[in-house]
Amino acid sequence: MTTGSPGTSRTRPPVVLLTGVLAVATLVVAALSLGTPLVAPQRLPAVLVAGDGLDHVVVTQLRAPRLVLGVLAGAALGVAGLLLSESLRNPLAVPELLGVSSGAAAAVTITVVFGLAVPYAPLLPALAGAALGAVLTVVAVRGALGPSAVLLVGAGVGAALQAVLLAAAALSESTDQGVLVRYLLGSLTGTTWTTVATVLPGLVVGGTAAVLALPALAVLRLGTEAASVLGVPAARARVAVLAVACVLTAAVVGVCGPVAWVGFLAPQLAARLAPGAGLPGRALRTAGLGALVVVAADLAARTVLYPVELPVGGLTAVVAVGLGAVLLGRRGTA
Amino acid sequence: MRTALVGLLAAVAVAGLAGVQLLVGSTLDAGTALAALAGRADALTTAIVLDLRAPRVLIGLAAGACLGVAGAVLQGVLRNPMAAPEVTGVGSGAMLGSVVATVVGGDVASPAGTAAVALAGGTLGGAALWALAARSGGDPMRLVVLGVLVSAVLGGTTLVLLTARPQLTGSMTRWLVGSLNGRGWEHWAALWPALAVSLVAGLLLAGVLGLLSVDDDHARALGLAVSRWRSVVLLVAVVATAASVAAAGLLAFVGLLAPHAARAVAGSDHRVLLPLAALTGAGTVAAADVAAQLLTAAVPGDAGRIGVPAGAVTAVFGAAVLIGIVRRRSRATVEGTG
Repeated sequence: MTTGSPGTSRTRPPVVLLTGVLAVATLVVAALSLGTPLVAPQRLPAVLVAGDGLDHVVVTQLRAPRLVLGVLAGAALGVAGLLLSESLRNPLAVPELLGVSSGAAAAVTITVVFGLAVPYAPLLPALAGAALGAVLTVVAVRGALGPSAVLLVGAGVGAALQAVLLAAAALSESTDQGVLVRYLLGSLTGTTWTTVATVLPGLVVGGTAAVLALPALAVLRLGTEAASVLGVPAARARVAVLAVACVLTAAVVGVCGPVAWVGFLAPQLAARLAPGAGLPGRALRTAGLGALVVVAADLAARTVLYPVELPVGGLTAVVAVGLGAVLLGRRGTA
Repeated sequence: MRTALVGLLAAVAVAGLAGVQLLVGSTLDAGTALAALAGRADALTTAIVLDLRAPRVLIGLAAGACLGVAGAVLQGVLRNPMAAPEVTGVGSGAMLGSVVATVVGGDVASPAGTAAVALAGGTLGGAALWALAARSGGDPMRLVVLGVLVSAVLGGTTLVLLTARPQLTGSMTRWLVGSLNGRGWEHWAALWPALAVSLVAGLLLAGVLGLLSVDDDHARALGLAVSRWRSVVLLVAVVATAASVAAAGLLAFVGLLAPHAARAVAGSDHRVLLPLAALTGAGTVAAADVAAQLLTAAVPGDAGRIGVPAGAVTAVFGAAVLIGIVRRRSRATVEGTG
């Protein structure tokens, strides 16, 4: 979380920081102990070190990997959203509105429902799909002017790709509606350590690239002219940042679907909590808040209507768009 | 004259497409289907043509016509060429309403009950956007971006509801992009009155709509109670959308495509525009359904699968049209102000 980032103690009173740490700790304990079977928090240490038993298996083999995947997915999507919105200087430039998420989701759905054997699945098809979605948007945007126009073109590309996803699922003999839910919205159902291992390579690459891209992003957010004055070719830098965001998004979407709109809410929350933070601090907070949002949403998704599991992406879509729009409105009028 | 000719051609094209839908399919050849229509076939064949294919064709036409009318009304009254049920919260609100009705079950889930709840949902969705947009000024692009966000919230809620009831997930495709699969005469019975009402009301209000589509001040100067009439006219669009969505799901972007095609021919006279948009909407859905069935037949697979939904075809074409409009519009705006 934000504990280690520089500048925190200067900009936020320690009480707020403490509240944050407490909230994270509570959430982690809740994610490990809530559900069926219920593992009381005070029994967690014993259950974790116990060699066997149902509780031990449930906590270490089901809940722990799910928690870890939620953290990773939320952090990655948050940072992807930050990269996109800052490089295009538009708070609504998020994977969902640029065809990136739906491209990745459509490509993975096609390989899954038709049982196609693709090497390095699901990362490779997801990456191809994300790149296709982004390229389609970029090509379609040519000649359109203004931030709203870019987003509407992206939304159009996204809608078309989502229709392709639905058509592919309807064409296949697959009766597994879970696939559809996962790739339309995002879901952490059925996560094991193997799932976490699948998502890791893409996230390591994307995460490293994101750190390396931060200096370029810092210049890009000043605007194209300022960037060229500083000797940074803005167009090339923007493509690079866009590509990093695609890798991060694809790595997550390939495994757990788009986990909708986390990339919109997390950067907004980070901007709200620490308005004066520099870009590295902002990125760290965005990652932490993204993780927090996904873990909290997933906790609700799997417990509220137990035994029915809701798709975590449905909850994040509703909460993130609503809350993100409110934050955006505040910032706009302030 | 030219408009009348185009209208006639469109009507012939729609009738032709409907005929193709009725006569051609995977189970019967055209000759057998024709015999069934003439009453010279066995009971099973007659049932396939009259109870499976005929309502499907009619519902597609009426649902498309409803969306055409709704889109034309929305674009006129909001003075926004990008307005359509799917980007104003009306379509996704109606979709959420339909799914709520299905979840509640019983009488509420009957075709008429679904349409009524869809009407409530569509009204709420549209009102949500209206409330948000009131604070954001009159930028038409911004309105549509807000509409996309409202639709994302309503769509997410719809999907959560659908997954909370596992027995409903099978109909997910229909609600999300619109499909004519599994629709029967009972759905037709709830749909056509709404089409008739909204088309007649739209034509009666064509004068008001014409005034509203130009400018509030002029309308007010001519003695029109602007906000009251705007609500009345918007209600026509909501009724048409709700009936269409309750019957066939949200057939994506038909409400955007059809009025544009109609406007290119008819200009902005709403007395001509509305019927022509209805006709284009009907034709769009009929053509999309034929294309969807051809596509399904072209990909080998089990006969029991759902098959490409008509809404997926309209979504892809509609998205292309949306992108074209946005590009043209954005350049015009910037050139106009700069």
